[in-house]
Amino acid sequence: MELANIMDSQTTGNAVVFNGVSVMLDGVIILDEISAIAPCGGSTAIIGPNGAGKTTLLLALLGQLPYTGHIQILCGAVGRRPRLGYVPQRLAFDRALPMTVIEFMVMGKQRLPLWFGTRQPYRNRAMDLLSAVKADGLVSRKLGALSGGELQRVLLALALEQEPDLLILDEPASGVDFQGEHIFCELLEQLRHERGFTQLMVSHDLATVAHHATHVICLNRKVAAAGPPQEVLTRKNLATIFGIHMGLVDAGSIPENGRPECASCWEKTFHA
Amino acid sequence: MPDLTPIFHFVSVILPFECLKPEFMQQALIGLMLLAPMASAMGVQVVNFRMAFFSDAISHSAFAGVALGLIFDADPHLTMPIFGLLVGIGIMAVQRHSTLSSDTVIGVFFSGVVAFGLAVVSRDRTVARDVQRFLYGDILTIGQADILCLMALFVALILFQVWGYNRMLYVGLNPVLAEAHQVRVAAYQYSFAALLSLIVIFSVWAVGVLLVTAMLIVPAAAARNFARSAGSMFWWALLVSLTSAVIGLILSAQDWAHTATGATIILISFAWFILSTAVTRMRRQEQ
Repeated sequence: MELANIMDSQTTGNAVVFNGVSVMLDGVIILDEISAIAPCGGSTAIIGPNGAGKTTLLLALLGQLPYTGHIQILCGAVGRRPRLGYVPQRLAFDRALPMTVIEFMVMGKQRLPLWFGTRQPYRNRAMDLLSAVKADGLVSRKLGALSGGELQRVLLALALEQEPDLLILDEPASGVDFQGEHIFCELLEQLRHERGFTQLMVSHDLATVAHHATHVICLNRKVAAAGPPQEVLTRKNLATIFGIHMGLVDAGSIPENGRPECASCWEKTFHA
Repeated sequence: MPDLTPIFHFVSVILPFECLKPEFMQQALIGLMLLAPMASAMGVQVVNFRMAFFSDAISHSAFAGVALGLIFDADPHLTMPIFGLLVGIGIMAVQRHSTLSSDTVIGVFFSGVVAFGLAVVSRDRTVARDVQRFLYGDILTIGQADILCLMALFVALILFQVWGYNRMLYVGLNPVLAEAHQVRVAAYQYSFAALLSLIVIFSVWAVGVLLVTAMLIVPAAAARNFARSAGSMFWWALLVSLTSAVIGLILSAQDWAHTATGATIILISFAWFILSTAVTRMRRQEQ
């Protein structure tokens, strides 16, 4: 019940506020006057069809793109800048680079050059984080030799190393198999409860969103709808945003109150 | 100016080769021992950042540096590094703020700078002949003032690498991720571009415009093959570049060889690279 109390204290207020955010690239409007929020301590999902500007919104939030309007990140302790953790969709990196997972975990914190190896305190901390994402077995593997799912978990560990107030994930489950996606969803939810960060993720899988998100922003260049999943993920809304061929979730199966089943978590529910 | 003769003498004691007796050879060796580790340490990151073309553009700005020296009647030893530095920072700034792909940005700078240099230099017949020196490099004419410059650069580079090696790996891996995780990407990129520009220009004197990139890239590429971690990659690059420099210099001075020093050094490091690919292949077969 202690966890529930922590969650309650954090769900008051907004972690992120987008206010009239527009992005224009080469004369094309990618995002048009986006106003939306992500509640503190919650799990906000940004959904929308391809080309809706989901990743663009995240990049604007990360300060990687010029935009008009205002983006405020309000979560975190008073008196310091909010800390961000970022898990990119597909890490574009050079797989031929000889770098071990432990070096990858340590390079953002340890100042002493890696030529002299990794230091015990940093190594211990990295091991704790890798265990938290169930990737401790990967510690001496080469980064370039990891599978999509393994890399995703290591990237999550790297993001957690920041002790983030806000964890930003861009389609974290893309390129991961069904089983991997299921594990990743569960893991994120568990970590969020343990560590109390606010989660903001782009997702393409409506079923997963329906089950794991506490707040949904439907994006299609503009905000098409926003709110709790059971209010937003209606058949009418989804048909408007995705067209009639959505086929990913039967919106009619979403109960009026309470959380719908997640397709990738179905297995677990079944066994329970 | 401090006297460097004791250092030169020390060299002839630890490496008692007949060809290292003349002072210009000792100076050349010291110059290379400073330059090779710098080039290879930066090369590790040049490979990570895929900036080989960037260093090519800087090296070709050497012509324009000489040209500017002619126009303003200044010492090319001064105008070359300054101009190289400006070009390097300029390319980095355009690259960071332009939507054009980086090889296009560099290609545009590259051609502009080379054309300017050649246009000015070609007006002057005597200098035009001198251009050959920059094409092939001439480490044997390195002077004490150059060596003092290299020493200062060496200190700056060590400080930068010790302070930034890990963060540079972060930026090289993925700049967006690094920036989100509180790494000051722009500061690292600009300081790297500035230092790299200076090292490239100094390397032009050693191995010439045509082979500068090789001096950066080849040891780093071989090191990638040998190394099993990002930390050891640095030591491998150092080993390959230093051995290549010393062996290359000594071989080039042998009577039977009598080859250009820069080219000989690169050939040795190329041999290292071939060896490294054989090693990776053997490792793969073991697995």
